[in-house]
Amino acid sequence: MRAMGKRSVLFGVVGALVAVSAASAGGSATPGVTAKQILIGGTTPLSGPASAYAAVAKGADAYFKYANDHGGVFGRSIKYKYVDDAYDPSQTIQKVRDLVQNDKVFAIYNTLGTEQNLAVRSYLNQLKVPQLLVASGASTWGSDYKKYPWTIGYQPSYKGEATLYGRYIAKAKPRARIGVLYQNDDYGKELVAGLQRGLGKKAKLIVSKQGYDVTDTDVKSQIARLKSKRANTLMVFATPKFAIQSYSSARVLGWHPLVFVNVVASASNTMTIASLASSKRQTEGSISLAFLKDPINPRWTNDKAVKLFRTILKKYNGGEGLTDYYNIYGMSSAFTLVDALKHAGKSPTRAGIMRAVTHLNEQNNPFVLPGIVVRTTSTDHFPIAQARLQRYHNGHWVYFGPLVRVG
Amino acid sequence: MSRVVRIAAGLVAAAAAVALVLVLPHWLSDARAAEFARAGCFFIAILGLNLLTGYTGQISLGHGALMAVGAYTTAILTANHGFRDLWTIPLAGLVAMGAGFLLGLPARRLSGLYLALATFAFAVAMPALLKRFSGLTGGSQGINLFDKALTRSTGALGPVHVLGRTVATNDFLYYLTWGTGLVLAAAAWVLVRGRVGRAFRAVRDSEVAAASSGINTGFYKMLAFGISGFYAGVGGSLFVLVSNWFVSPTTFAFDKSLLLVVGAVVGGLGSLAGMALGALFIQFVPSWAGNVSNAPGAPSVFFGAAIVLVMILLPSGLGGVLRKLTEPLTTRL
Amino acid sequence: MVGAADWAGVAQQVVAGLSSGGTYATLAVALVLIYRATGVVNFAQGELAMFSTFVAWTLTQHGFSYWPAFALTVAASFGGGIALERVVIRPVERASVLTVAIVTIGVFFVVNGAAFWIWSPQVKSMPNAFSTRPIRIAGVAFSISDLGIIGVSLLAVLLLWFFFRFTKLGLAMRAAALNPESSRLTGIRVSWMIALGWGLATALGAVAGLMAAPPLGSFDQNFMQPILLYAFAGAVLGGIDSALGAVVGSLALGVFLNLLGTYVSWVGTDLRQAAALAVILGVLLVRPAGLFGQALVRRV
Repeated sequence: MRAMGKRSVLFGVVGALVAVSAASAGGSATPGVTAKQILIGGTTPLSGPASAYAAVAKGADAYFKYANDHGGVFGRSIKYKYVDDAYDPSQTIQKVRDLVQNDKVFAIYNTLGTEQNLAVRSYLNQLKVPQLLVASGASTWGSDYKKYPWTIGYQPSYKGEATLYGRYIAKAKPRARIGVLYQNDDYGKELVAGLQRGLGKKAKLIVSKQGYDVTDTDVKSQIARLKSKRANTLMVFATPKFAIQSYSSARVLGWHPLVFVNVVASASNTMTIASLASSKRQTEGSISLAFLKDPINPRWTNDKAVKLFRTILKKYNGGEGLTDYYNIYGMSSAFTLVDALKHAGKSPTRAGIMRAVTHLNEQNNPFVLPGIVVRTTSTDHFPIAQARLQRYHNGHWVYFGPLVRVG
Repeated sequence: MSRVVRIAAGLVAAAAAVALVLVLPHWLSDARAAEFARAGCFFIAILGLNLLTGYTGQISLGHGALMAVGAYTTAILTANHGFRDLWTIPLAGLVAMGAGFLLGLPARRLSGLYLALATFAFAVAMPALLKRFSGLTGGSQGINLFDKALTRSTGALGPVHVLGRTVATNDFLYYLTWGTGLVLAAAAWVLVRGRVGRAFRAVRDSEVAAASSGINTGFYKMLAFGISGFYAGVGGSLFVLVSNWFVSPTTFAFDKSLLLVVGAVVGGLGSLAGMALGALFIQFVPSWAGNVSNAPGAPSVFFGAAIVLVMILLPSGLGGVLRKLTEPLTTRL
Repeated sequence: MVGAADWAGVAQQVVAGLSSGGTYATLAVALVLIYRATGVVNFAQGELAMFSTFVAWTLTQHGFSYWPAFALTVAASFGGGIALERVVIRPVERASVLTVAIVTIGVFFVVNGAAFWIWSPQVKSMPNAFSTRPIRIAGVAFSISDLGIIGVSLLAVLLLWFFFRFTKLGLAMRAAALNPESSRLTGIRVSWMIALGWGLATALGAVAGLMAAPPLGSFDQNFMQPILLYAFAGAVLGGIDSALGAVVGSLALGVFLNLLGTYVSWVGTDLRQAAALAVILGVLLVRPAGLFGQALVRRV
């Protein structure tokens, strides 16, 4: 045991370098790429507390199958192997290692969850395996690219999102008394930090912040507390279940604040349930942000992309998830990956796909709101960084204001 | 004479186990070796649970949290205090042993369900505590030794050189966990056959009788929790290495504690070899279930059905079958 | 710790706590039922309640209104509980308590997974059983629904008490649980009594799920898990063999969680679970059989 000092580590480093350079020397030997197929992999919770997010992987998979039936990428079809990690980071590690070392995937793609992706980021970067379009809104995916050049996120960061709410309140409601309900983990805290950043000097408008734990049964206590602090503006930084409860609990208290509800919790189907569980009056006027076409927003009923979305799900996903926002997220992400693979050229390499996803200029992604350009540069690693504010009116989200930059 | 035969049979079985552990990696792929290494961590924690539940009859639904104590001891010492990961393993065991003693305090007064709730409370509270004291634990982002202490993480960057041989990282982790597991299993074997083991069993069979024959039942109950905690802590410590040198609160949500109990009972409490089977069960059956179908929820259905089936077909666990199979062998000898 | 001016705030927290506690109470009584019949904690109790809730939801999607769907589901759950006992519990009837408990963990996984498999993972909503219109008394707001839920759990306790005290079947069930051997000699079919206990508990679980789901606003396949945790804690706090204790324990727990989380700033919402469980532990150390439990009788 003694012998394993610094020397062995040095050997280890050299060994790893030798192994990696050997792998990248032969151009045709890119892992996961054959003449007919590109194999990518990722984990997603198919069981356990976060199974609802499985739709993200299913939406993406359906889109790849559609793309494969329409020629694939330079004649190659895309095979997306997504495996269950039950939302447990220690399982993510295992499954990702399996995908990289046994299945020899070209890249890890669309793995879901912040902790889950953090758990494998160093490992993948060490092996120079791309970690593409991470399905989490933590800002670290976009901002720490110098340290982790093989990792990139996809959606607008939570922090940037809440910054917009903060700026809006500072400008439009300078006399608000803000009460914040947040999920007590990195996700919720990043949103709170963004709100404070956006409010800037007006951060003292926040009169109370109440956290809840994902294992709580309800948020009645927190909402009652916020009301008793005489807040008139309620920030809901939560998951759909707790957002719905915020509305119904506020109603029982006879409290009618102006509600800001974050993207994750504001899909149309969630809001419909929230209205049912509380009242029309309770949800009326709520404000949120949008960057995707919500499949059940009547505004998009006859939209070509949303029609395509439904057709694809019917053909490749057994018709499931037609109203599900997570599915369209997955499709949008898959569209971007296909686009990047095309730009990576006829003989894609891992370095090549990284170059492609960090130089995106995608003006034709049909699943994002019109006008949004999925763009990255060598110094901007946030693919989707534009969105629109929206207000809930008469049972539907209505966009207001111009496209804004989320950052 | 039969005693000699039994001990000889035990030694043969132990030698066979060692041989099996030694040669197995030759047939395993790298990633498969990593999965076996993870099962090795469960094996060690379940050994501890077996000492507690199998020998003193006390139920613990909190062993996942004791693993967390061991895991974070290793992560914190390695990340912030310059320790090499391997040296922290026994320390992690000792810290978790301390936690085990504390957890054993209520056991002096509570039993059965009430004790189950007390230990369960510990398991439920653990992730919240880890998040709360984020200065020490890194909060919900956890601690990533792969980032923070790469040079002190043995094998993180490539093959490991041991005794003049070069061993691939995952094979190394495999040997480390199962080697430690076998040593600790042997220690458990010795322990339960000695004075302490007799006292443990006396407490289990009848507390009143044990007390009246002069056994300090409270002490032995706590001792069992402490020793059991040591095992869980070592298992947790190794779990960090096996999990790519990463640890976070979600890893030790309370379902890990339940999973360990499932492993111990499916393995068959009271049987050392059964504990290894139980560990393999909770490691491999869920991933097998995940491969059967990827419809949402399907993996849970198959995993749950496997648990129910094993318990119905083999109420004394997999270890019980093992014993029945080897019984004719030893009697013939 | 509590400012004098904030009494309305405290009262509001107490009411909110009672209303949360009410959703744990009925499930806690179901746990007590199975414990009394078999000496086992049924880890699958919450998931069975969840499954029943989804069945009722499906009925409401097919045109049934709340109460008919409720009645049908409770009846179906009764049958389902008996069937479940016959299929998976009966084969391990003579095995150790721990073995039976592990079987219920297996059932937990199967039922949870099956619900995901059958119904998509999107959140669902259930029509309300009672009015949720806010009522204000002395500055404290609550709704009929809060009262209704607590009322239903108390009614369940009352009915069970009546059943076990005055009906022949109930008496036979109690006898079978207390002393299986001599009950068998007097001609009671002990095994079927246990099955009946499972049926009752599952039906009661269905009531718990159907009471809990509507006021939460939405529910998914995991919604009963935290409720089971608190129901378990509430039942143990009250004394695991006392149905009334389970209700009181659950209500106390609900109130206690809120007051700790709101007014003890060191605890806050993140540690309130841990703190509440620690306090329960303290209570148990003083009263090892819970608030209403009888002094421990060891099962041999």
